Amino acid sequence: MILVVATISFFIVRSIPGDPVAANVQKLIQQGMDPRSAEQATRVLYGFQPQGTLWQQYTDYMSGLVRFDLGQSVTHAGAPVTQVLGEAAKWTVLPVLAGTLLSFLIGIIMGVYAAIKRSGKLGDVLAISGSLLHGVPQYVLGLLLSAVFATLIPILPADGPVDILFEPGFNAGYLGSLAEHAVLPVLTYALAAYGGWILAMKSSVVTVLGDDFILAAELRGMKRSIVFRYIARNAILPLFTILALSLGLLLGGAVFIERIFNYPGLGLLLLDSITMRDYALMGGAFLIITASIIVANILADLFYSVIDPRVRSGEEVSA
Amino acid sequence: MTQQAPGVRIDGLTVVYKTPAGELPAVREISLDLRPGSITGIVGESGSGKSTLALSLLNAVQPPGRIAAGSVEIDGLGDVVGLRGEQLRKARGKHIGYVFQAAQNSLNPLKTVGKQLLDLGRSHGVDDLRGLVREAKELLGRMGLDGARVLDSHQHELSGGMRQRVGIMLALVLNAHLVVLDEPTTALDMITQANILKIIREVHDERGLTTLVITHDIGVVAEVADRLAVMYGGRLVEQGPTREVLGAPRHPYTKGLIRAIPRLVGDIDEARALPGRPPTLATVPKEGCVFRERCALRMDVCDTVDPRAVADGPRIVACHAVEGAVDVTVDVKEHA
Repeated sequence: MILVVATISFFIVRSIPGDPVAANVQKLIQQGMDPRSAEQATRVLYGFQPQGTLWQQYTDYMSGLVRFDLGQSVTHAGAPVTQVLGEAAKWTVLPVLAGTLLSFLIGIIMGVYAAIKRSGKLGDVLAISGSLLHGVPQYVLGLLLSAVFATLIPILPADGPVDILFEPGFNAGYLGSLAEHAVLPVLTYALAAYGGWILAMKSSVVTVLGDDFILAAELRGMKRSIVFRYIARNAILPLFTILALSLGLLLGGAVFIERIFNYPGLGLLLLDSITMRDYALMGGAFLIITASIIVANILADLFYSVIDPRVRSGEEVSA
Repeated sequence: MTQQAPGVRIDGLTVVYKTPAGELPAVREISLDLRPGSITGIVGESGSGKSTLALSLLNAVQPPGRIAAGSVEIDGLGDVVGLRGEQLRKARGKHIGYVFQAAQNSLNPLKTVGKQLLDLGRSHGVDDLRGLVREAKELLGRMGLDGARVLDSHQHELSGGMRQRVGIMLALVLNAHLVVLDEPTTALDMITQANILKIIREVHDERGLTTLVITHDIGVVAEVADRLAVMYGGRLVEQGPTREVLGAPRHPYTKGLIRAIPRLVGDIDEARALPGRPPTLATVPKEGCVFRERCALRMDVCDTVDPRAVADGPRIVACHAVEGAVDVTVDVKEHA
């Protein structure tokens, strides 16, 4: 699957109108460079052999890929693309993970309440707040938060991942600044996703509440806490898949938020690579975003088989 | 076994459901005695209120329904209609076992039967969980299942008949002596159905239970029940010993029901469907006999006066036509 994606992204970059590879070779030759060094320079720029046949370029790219060699980035002084991506990934993964898990936890709990109190005022308030937040796009939320908390009432920073005054490392000042800077982006991720969780969990709980085994458990005199656990565990199942998928998606969908809060993460990197025409980096960023979605999918499936006994198959029923 | 089979006295029970058209009765003024150690069958068409009646025994009528009047006295528990909160929860399962319709999934799909058994034990403060598991295995073995294997299984690994036996086990494992079975064999094939009925009968005798079987299938009650009560439109129209009621039905509805059953021998055309439809919650007449629309013996009095349940020996019938034959003068004077 990942190979298919790599292939597609290779050919997409390759088929960008105007054929930038050939154009670049031509341009360099016209600038007075001899064809050989023009090819060399272009090769560094695009990460593949410019003068080979399409097939040869493809095999070169793929064999590099198998060795985790995605070529070199022009905009980062020839640093390997993998290294540049790795640097950026940590600024995306941590806030996204924190924000998503936070919104997942809060959304799930509120969703259960919204479902149980669905005929009361509290349920209405929760459901409406969920719908409203769900309808506001991430970047609007990000801009709002940054406007309110960084500009109007400047209590939180929105100018990058960390204060450059501090020495990177495990010292209180650096970590504190890191945490302080992470508040707004994490809050944005959390708020943006929270509405979806509360709505999904509410409908899931309402479905489970109507299931026969919940009434059965009550009629058997099960304790409320146990019945509650039965409800929660059954209702949360379908949400785990969404959770895994959204984690995969957010790696790529963080463009706006990283732009707003100046986080040098994957989204911002992708944006920069496109404006700077750093093709190798662009391809690499596309690849890692797609790959993360695929991996998240696989993990979701594997995880599902752990938490749902009905999915486990081929298991020997012990006699 | 220290507990005795309890007797149950349902008196004047009325259960209403809240609808846009106001509160409508699904069960109206039902009085029924379950004698200690007996098996009582309740037959009725869909929507006759029999499941609502069954749930009332556990004070578990689901909203938007509620018990509006009457009492359900159970020996050793008192009036369950008055029970609330923890008291009610503890009575369920421990004193009253409830067995769901087999087609319903009455088990948590994510947990093994054994784990749910332990949840049940913990809910009722059972200290000797090992003993509980032993008891469960014995009960399952008694019903022809491999106890250890079943306890280790999830719901989806069990067949309908196995699930139903698990349901019976869970209803009995805490030593409940009043057992309510709601459509225990619906959606099971004939062989499994016969098996389950045999098990119900045997377990009932062995453990000394008071059992209530709710069904739409006259064959089922004929098989297991000592006494039979026939429900129509939320009312009990006839009750009495099973053999007598089936052999010599008095209420026109009971007669119609029995005539509608195709016989194994003889002409299939002899089976005659009851004309018309059973009333729904909204179409049950507010006054007069609930069955009069479909009744061949309809009289003027049926339109205005609800027939009283009149006892004649062990049999109780609520019908003006029958009552009239027994006790004409009183009736005429009362409603003149």
